[in-house]
Amino acid sequence: MIGFLTLFKREVMRFIKDALDTIAPPTVDVILYMLVFGLALGTRLGEVQGISYIQFMMPGLILMSIIRNSFYNPAYSLFQSRWDGNIADVLSSPLSHTQMALAIILGGVARGLLVGVLVLIAALILTGLPFAHPMLALAYGLSVSIAFAGLGCVVGLWAKSWEAVNTVNVFVLDPLVLLGGVFYSLEMVRGIAVIELLTRLNPFTYIIGGFRGALLGTTEVDAIIGLILALGLGVVLVTLSILLFRVGYHLKT
Amino acid sequence: MIVPAISFQHLCKVYGDLVAVDDLNLEIQSGEFFGLLGSNGAGKTTSLHTIVGLVKPTEGQVLIKGLDAVRDYRQVHKLVGITFQEFVLDAQFLNVREILIYQAGYLGVSPKRAGSRADELLHKFSLWDKRSSRVQELSGGMKRRLMLAKALMHDPEILILDEPTAGADVELRHQIWEMLQDFHKQGKTILLTTHYLEEAERLCERVAILQKGRLLALGSPLELARQRDQHRLEDVFLELIRSDKQ
Repeated sequence: MIGFLTLFKREVMRFIKDALDTIAPPTVDVILYMLVFGLALGTRLGEVQGISYIQFMMPGLILMSIIRNSFYNPAYSLFQSRWDGNIADVLSSPLSHTQMALAIILGGVARGLLVGVLVLIAALILTGLPFAHPMLALAYGLSVSIAFAGLGCVVGLWAKSWEAVNTVNVFVLDPLVLLGGVFYSLEMVRGIAVIELLTRLNPFTYIIGGFRGALLGTTEVDAIIGLILALGLGVVLVTLSILLFRVGYHLKT
Repeated sequence: MIVPAISFQHLCKVYGDLVAVDDLNLEIQSGEFFGLLGSNGAGKTTSLHTIVGLVKPTEGQVLIKGLDAVRDYRQVHKLVGITFQEFVLDAQFLNVREILIYQAGYLGVSPKRAGSRADELLHKFSLWDKRSSRVQELSGGMKRRLMLAKALMHDPEILILDEPTAGADVELRHQIWEMLQDFHKQGKTILLTTHYLEEAERLCERVAILQKGRLLALGSPLELARQRDQHRLEDVFLELIRSDKQ
């Protein structure tokens, strides 16, 4: 257990010691969104589903912060450790492969949730978010951060260059999140065939929609479906991470 | 029956068309100071990496105190300390002392014990003044000493050293030799690879000479020299390597 806690601590200290580069930018980004869409443009954008546009948008932005930060920590940490060679310290330790994967994933979960909580606090203060179902929101935050830390772990093992890690972010995460209804409701894109189809087929629509329901108390989708999707994704990606560590994928020759 | 500290049993490692290790059979006894010698690409590092699970054997197995290095890797890794050829140091955000403490943590040493052990080794390896420095601020010699200290954090029974004095100046090389001899006097097993044959001659009780993954010769440096009517291990080595090439 000492080994597991040490690796987990390393993954947490990695972003804590470098908070100006890891925690501050995503938090400031979302606060800027709030200022622009809430204070500057808010009154012109009107209401969506009976709530102000900034409040409608906030759950998606919070989830986007959790997703990105949960993903970045294991992806970059693992890739850099492979790149520098110091992953050998962990691989030659008595830690089990499962412990290695879980400690790295939990480091990502910690970063995702920390940024998520900071952004949530800012949203509560600046936008008066109702925070309707806290336990459901917590369940969403946890399951989504586990799923994307798992993805980060897989990508950290798979990537052969720094650019590859970023490519996953640009070509996979961003399209999925942005076409998952962070900035619009299904009602708003009805009749725009391509966008409506992509949005309906996108699992993130249900995850973001469910989280919106947990925070605002109102949503277009069933909150349980989104939670099941996030949990399912988490189970698949965490299991895959453990399996990749077991077979030594890009770790052992 | 005495169980060898390290036993390579019909170990083979193949990368595509390249046979890196070819049916290696070798036993290293507990408390022995053993040298694995060979030219570049002879299979020394590959063999060492099979012990700590960084290389998966294609065939055969490696036993550490009777434990299978693949199946029982968790127990095996507790028994072994390793220094790699390259400077494998977690330079992302840790300072010198933290590197040692985190390493001890991975190896299951309690935080309290890890702190005192780190301080002890920092003094022993003349790194105390650099304890708060980042790896990037260390000289090559300091990094070498830090690598060695890292391998000793959990006081392992078996120490595996992959070219521990590569690039070290004469003074540092002598310092490292003294440290290794101290460690050996405590009854620990040492398996070392080196390109400096006088180093192997001075330190090792027995050596194995590898070429293209195969074992060419095994014995004490003195025995090997006598068998071939030579005075130095270096001459034995050159004779073996040249005759194998022909």
